[in-house]
Amino acid sequence: MRGRRDIWTGVLALAFAVVAVFLVWPLFSVFTASFTDNRTGEVTLANYLKVLGHPYYLRALLNSIIVGIGGMIGAMLLGVPLAFLTSRYLVRGRDVIATLSVLALVSPPFIGAYAWIMMLGRNGWLREAMAEIGIELPSIYGLFGILLVFSLKFYPFVFLLTSSALAAINPSVEEAAENLGAGAWRRFFTVTLPLVFPAVSSGALLAFVLSLADFGTPSIVGGDFRVLATTAYNLFTSEMGGNPGLASTVSIVLIIVSMVVVAIQRRAVRRRNVEGSLVKRMAPRRLGPVSSVLAHLLCYGIVLASSLPSLVVIHTSFRKTSGPVFQPGFGLESYRRILHEVPHVITNSFVYSSLAVALIVILGTLIGYILTRREGVLSGALDSMLLVPYVVPGIVMGLGFVVTFNSPPLLLTGTATIIVLMLFIRRLPYAVRSSASILKQIRGSTEEAAISLGAAPGWAFLKVTLPLMLPGIMAGALMSFVTAINELSSSLILYVGRTMTMPVRIYLSVLDGEFGTAAALSTILLATTGIAVFLVFRYSGRKEGAFV
Amino acid sequence: MALVELRRLCKSYPGVRALDDIGLTIGSGEFFTLLGPSGCGKTTLLRTIAGFNRQDSGEISVGGRPLDGVPAHRRDIGMVFQDYAIFPHLSVAGNVAFGLRNRRRPRAEIAQRVARALELVRLGGLGERMPHELSGGQQQRVGLARAMVISPQILLMDEPLSNLDAKLRIELREDIRDLQRSLGITTVYVTHDQEEALVVSDRICVMQGGKVHQVGTPWEVYVRPATLFVASFVGAMNLLSGLAVEAGGTVRLAGAPLQVPALAGLDNVTAAIRPEDVMVDPAAPGDGVVLGATVEKITFAGREAFYRTALADGTSLAVLIQRPTPELLGREGHAVRLVLPRGKLLFYDADGRLLGEPA
Repeated sequence: MRGRRDIWTGVLALAFAVVAVFLVWPLFSVFTASFTDNRTGEVTLANYLKVLGHPYYLRALLNSIIVGIGGMIGAMLLGVPLAFLTSRYLVRGRDVIATLSVLALVSPPFIGAYAWIMMLGRNGWLREAMAEIGIELPSIYGLFGILLVFSLKFYPFVFLLTSSALAAINPSVEEAAENLGAGAWRRFFTVTLPLVFPAVSSGALLAFVLSLADFGTPSIVGGDFRVLATTAYNLFTSEMGGNPGLASTVSIVLIIVSMVVVAIQRRAVRRRNVEGSLVKRMAPRRLGPVSSVLAHLLCYGIVLASSLPSLVVIHTSFRKTSGPVFQPGFGLESYRRILHEVPHVITNSFVYSSLAVALIVILGTLIGYILTRREGVLSGALDSMLLVPYVVPGIVMGLGFVVTFNSPPLLLTGTATIIVLMLFIRRLPYAVRSSASILKQIRGSTEEAAISLGAAPGWAFLKVTLPLMLPGIMAGALMSFVTAINELSSSLILYVGRTMTMPVRIYLSVLDGEFGTAAALSTILLATTGIAVFLVFRYSGRKEGAFV
Repeated sequence: MALVELRRLCKSYPGVRALDDIGLTIGSGEFFTLLGPSGCGKTTLLRTIAGFNRQDSGEISVGGRPLDGVPAHRRDIGMVFQDYAIFPHLSVAGNVAFGLRNRRRPRAEIAQRVARALELVRLGGLGERMPHELSGGQQQRVGLARAMVISPQILLMDEPLSNLDAKLRIELREDIRDLQRSLGITTVYVTHDQEEALVVSDRICVMQGGKVHQVGTPWEVYVRPATLFVASFVGAMNLLSGLAVEAGGTVRLAGAPLQVPALAGLDNVTAAIRPEDVMVDPAAPGDGVVLGATVEKITFAGREAFYRTALADGTSLAVLIQRPTPELLGREGHAVRLVLPRGKLLFYDADGRLLGEPA
């Protein structure tokens, strides 16, 4: 396609400009800040020497890695058996299980964190109920709580990816193994598991990176257990005058750890790209009565445990309160209070997310098109740059935005624009990837046919490709909306009183012990999320894979 | 309808020369076929004419007008795709009308031309159907109607039949041929199926490795393949390779000497003869090489049968038996006398090029 200039050349240039200004520049600012002395402004390695030499920071680094690995293992321990049982054996209500795990996946993690506090915190009802019958439950605060929340939050990645990989295995392969004398366990470990390894490891990787990047959960249930994300945040917002240099250094370390993990996973799956040749689907096998009961208990136990926080939050939001104190019975005081005290927070959330999604959809679709249909050096470079947000935690992107856009010509700090742009750039790669994968299913020849019939390239895209992409784009837009409206960490760094969003308000309420109003706002978020998921199911013809 | 001229076309992909100095002239109204195995460059060439690829060097002109600066959508070239490329969100009529709408034809004219095009491809009355309601053969008929209805200067077809089953393939290729004749539209057709190429084409261009091996009528390509590659790719061919040429141009076929003056001065050659040209136990041998052979295996295919015979030196030779009889089919293991008529033997030099026929 060399030397051809059309509308797509302009789109490519625009995409590069956007990525350069809102992704590369902020990260570069963080990078330079990490080498800068706060007082003198000189180039220095002091921040790195401090972070890598001081036990306080090393402890946070170690804790982050523990949390990442722990969250990953937890997600695999729950996700792999769930995927295997539901796709290979007759488990009733597979759709219910998939839907509940999708809901667990898309609901904000900090809601899970504080719901578990209400259950297992110092005065948690579950803890007290168990104590009465003589069972001492471990305290939710600290590593245990973080890993519990992460495992129940991130297992759906492993579950959904592994399920679709399992469904793509040609059943004859497993039958051949059986025919050659391999029993159920042997078959699983020597044939099935290696075939789904790329999917399992992608899910595990996602769990690791997200556990590493998550700020809300360790901040709410972590107690004294500090991780890199919370350390960077505290350094930046410290009341004794923040230390942006040191915060940037911690951020860079955080990014490096993420990138190392991604690189390891890439290496591991490189030679294992198994081609799925779907001839026929495997009929699920029937289990014996005892195994069947155990399988159902396990599957439903996992998905119910992961839905429990949402139920607790919804229940709490309808409890009668007087100020921050709960009273017996039900009432709508919490809702009344948020409508009275912080109505702008709710509108902010919806307006910012909608604007960000509009930008994401337009640019994401166009870039996705360039990446699949106009392969070249430049589009390849764009593709690699768009991988960056996957490994950059929200805290770090927020920090980058603050240090970059706090002076003219782009003085954006304190505005709504900066929050919209942050949501946009954070979620853009997901939209690009989803639009690229939709396009891969639409044959290129369809568009070439339109061109050969006299349609200019831009027109051919509008008349032929876009209509075919539309259902997928709608599903992607809804998913972007869900993640945008649930975004906490970067908004927490960028907000001012006027531009506060629901997740930020929930976080602050939880810190203040205002569980009632937090629950009411969380319920609004959960309801919005639930409606969006329902619509995605309608648009994408019920494919749980669309959520990963 | 137009004369298509390709001059010195070259195109490389990393590690592959997809088009290696291609020069062709396609006559107005001609049915011209690019034939070759996959990866020979035929599809690249077709897509370069369509404007979906750009050549590294060389020129394409249609009706004397150079095409090189013209983007694909302004080339006025109809194309039929291997995977049909039907717009799944448009009805059959919507698909066929697409090109006319791009040309901003009046509504009434579009309706009339679409209806007529659908009649021509025998889909009359199916205009309101959606593509997923059609069979593969019907979908390709839509593709054909869609490409023809715009009355393009040239029609390109990229293996249009290869996704269809054998019976439909034969039915549709007849239709394509008839339509092309009656409309007189210059057509470039790509296929890897040599029988298809022989049946439909006015002329065939055999390609391999980005190069043109031979351009000729189906008769020329079949009867006088210009290279060893063409000889073995088009139809079945017996090859006796590595024959040393003795003084005066004499070669020995399984020991039997044959003098061919045209071979004088060459080192070694390959002899070729089609299975149907080998005679078995003829009453009168005529002018040819007589060889003793043993029938090793007999394959019966209904209308005809094949012998696999072994010559005295062990070389294997396939022979077509035109009208098999029980007697002829019962000769496995028997000795037979084969005659290779002098006029049917072809010789190729060490580079695989056809040499003059034996006198």
